[in-house]
Amino acid sequence: MKNVTFIEAITEAMAEEMRRDERVIVLGEDVAIYGGVFKATKGLLDEFGPERVIDTPISEEFIVGGAVGAAAVGLRPIPEVQFSDFATCSFDPIIQQAAKLRYRSGGGWTCPMVIRICCGAEIGGGLYHSQTNENWFFGQAGLVTVAPSTPYDAKGLLKSAVRGDDPVIYLEHKKLYRWIRDDIPEEDFTVPLGQAKVRREGEDLTIISYQLMMHRALEAAETLADEGINVEVIDLRTLFPWDKETVLESVRKTSKVLLVHESPKTGGVAGEIAATIMEEAFDDLDAPVWRLTGLDIPVVPFAPAMEEYFLPNAEKIAAKARELAAY
Amino acid sequence: MRKTTTKVSGLSRKAAEKVPEEDQRNLYYHLMKVRMFDERCRKLFKQGRFPGTYFSQVGQEATTVAPAYCLNDKDMVAPSHRDMGAIITKGMPLVELLRQVFARSTSPDKGKSHPCHFGYPELRCLTPASTVAGQIVVGTGAAMAFKIQKQPNVVYCGFGEGGTSRGGFHEALNFAGIHDLPAIYVCQNNLWAESVPAHLQSKIEKYSDRAKAYGFEGVTIDGNDILQVYLTAKKAVDKARNGDGPTFIECLTYRWYGHSEIDPANYRTNEELEYWKKRDPVALYEKYLEKSGVMKESDRKEVTDRIEAEIQESIETAEADPHPEADAALEDVYSFSPAPNFPRS
Repeated sequence: MKNVTFIEAITEAMAEEMRRDERVIVLGEDVAIYGGVFKATKGLLDEFGPERVIDTPISEEFIVGGAVGAAAVGLRPIPEVQFSDFATCSFDPIIQQAAKLRYRSGGGWTCPMVIRICCGAEIGGGLYHSQTNENWFFGQAGLVTVAPSTPYDAKGLLKSAVRGDDPVIYLEHKKLYRWIRDDIPEEDFTVPLGQAKVRREGEDLTIISYQLMMHRALEAAETLADEGINVEVIDLRTLFPWDKETVLESVRKTSKVLLVHESPKTGGVAGEIAATIMEEAFDDLDAPVWRLTGLDIPVVPFAPAMEEYFLPNAEKIAAKARELAAY
Repeated sequence: MRKTTTKVSGLSRKAAEKVPEEDQRNLYYHLMKVRMFDERCRKLFKQGRFPGTYFSQVGQEATTVAPAYCLNDKDMVAPSHRDMGAIITKGMPLVELLRQVFARSTSPDKGKSHPCHFGYPELRCLTPASTVAGQIVVGTGAAMAFKIQKQPNVVYCGFGEGGTSRGGFHEALNFAGIHDLPAIYVCQNNLWAESVPAHLQSKIEKYSDRAKAYGFEGVTIDGNDILQVYLTAKKAVDKARNGDGPTFIECLTYRWYGHSEIDPANYRTNEELEYWKKRDPVALYEKYLEKSGVMKESDRKEVTDRIEAEIQESIETAEADPHPEADAALEDVYSFSPAPNFPRS
């Protein structure tokens, strides 16, 4: 075993996959000479050279759309969109090209690629360096959307994504990059796409979350355990297509569900999962399904007090869960 | 009204002498195949034999046929909705195009794409999306891959002058210039982007000037002179294949009919249409072939008879094929099925 940070796990996954398969390339802004703005691609240029680690102009549409073309003729590109806030500039290739190429060609063309997108708040990034934006991709069939919360999963899911034959949106929460460490195996391992993980077992209620908020949910669960409330915490890991079985199994066990995410409530991941629980496990519920999310405002504001007000945290989660447990 | 910079009096004899006669005959075959097939598809649509609409490229055929004739099987065509000529010339069988037109289950896209977004993976014809210029971005990415893979393949990116206004066009050509990518950018300047005239699309007169901003060569040619298009494209394809970078080719041409069959195109004048019909790429080429003796009328009739038979047979075959099952809509979403649930280990 070795102890790595979240970002080191991501770098290792890319380097190992590039060693294993020469079809894997990395492209994006500042990814080569600079090693990435967060140093996620550090060392790749030296090891793999400028043909496989490509510094691009500020051209998000080409970074992703060019990767679609490269994937179509046999490469396995890992394009990087530096911040999810800028993913808007690459929407045509993400939504119209990558997500639909297989479908519109009846399976004749495929698009095996991993679009790495850095996202998330709690770092004082202000409006355009703090958004999570997974709701922009969630529900777009043809895309697999992944959002790991631990170094182990970050590495294992990235490897699965590179080896798979589908376009994957791989969301990296920037707060997790150096805040969280994990012991991971020395040897090669993967984590399957599409499977949630029960991070903590409990009987009284289920909290479903992912990325940073999953950690905040675990903190809340610790607090509540001292009060005699046993919370089950599910880490979705893959947001779409999401793991209905694991979720419904937990609903049947605890009968109460709180969904937590950073992005705004309306049109978010939580609403969709809540609706599915209502449709398929209504009789198992002892309380309404609740959501604790970011606010329905345009973007994460800069002033610390406002950012804190916008975001869920361990205290807010504990308070909401306490209320739900008593429902 | 903007006119071509070249004369209306037929093809340049000097250019013709540089094109081997066999290629001249082949080009005639492809040109006529596209013209006749296109006109037949318009008729099929008017007869109500397929849904949606149809995007004709009649009048512009030389701009797509001649460049595609310079490509081999491993080269890629990244087409717009008006690049059917490139796809047919690349070798997609008419029966396969018709299966797509009729949305049959046997179609390469299994009935999913609209009959203007033809794709044929086995000959590397990209099945395009509708967002204008998107195929330029994707095609340029394929050119990047060919360079990385050290494969001597070239990418044809087709688009209209309207497509050059998109951001993706700029991002792609900028990148292609930086890395000397093996691509040719064939701009069919037909003076109209649906209903918007070229002078409202850009201040520049010559769209090939755009290439200057990306550091590579741009040329403007008479897109209705198939031999001139061929010679220009051949040079550009050879250059790209040799690793000497991309070329932007602006082909001045004209679309005879509306944006699609449901567009009466009444934003244009009859005078303009008549001017361009006099520059019909087919009539000009036939006149030349007759005069030069490369193909006499009887030789040409033999070719068109053969094409007519192929079209007829292809229609009969494709139309008799089955419609897709409705629930085939659920297929080809992911590499795994059924969508959207993952298989569980």
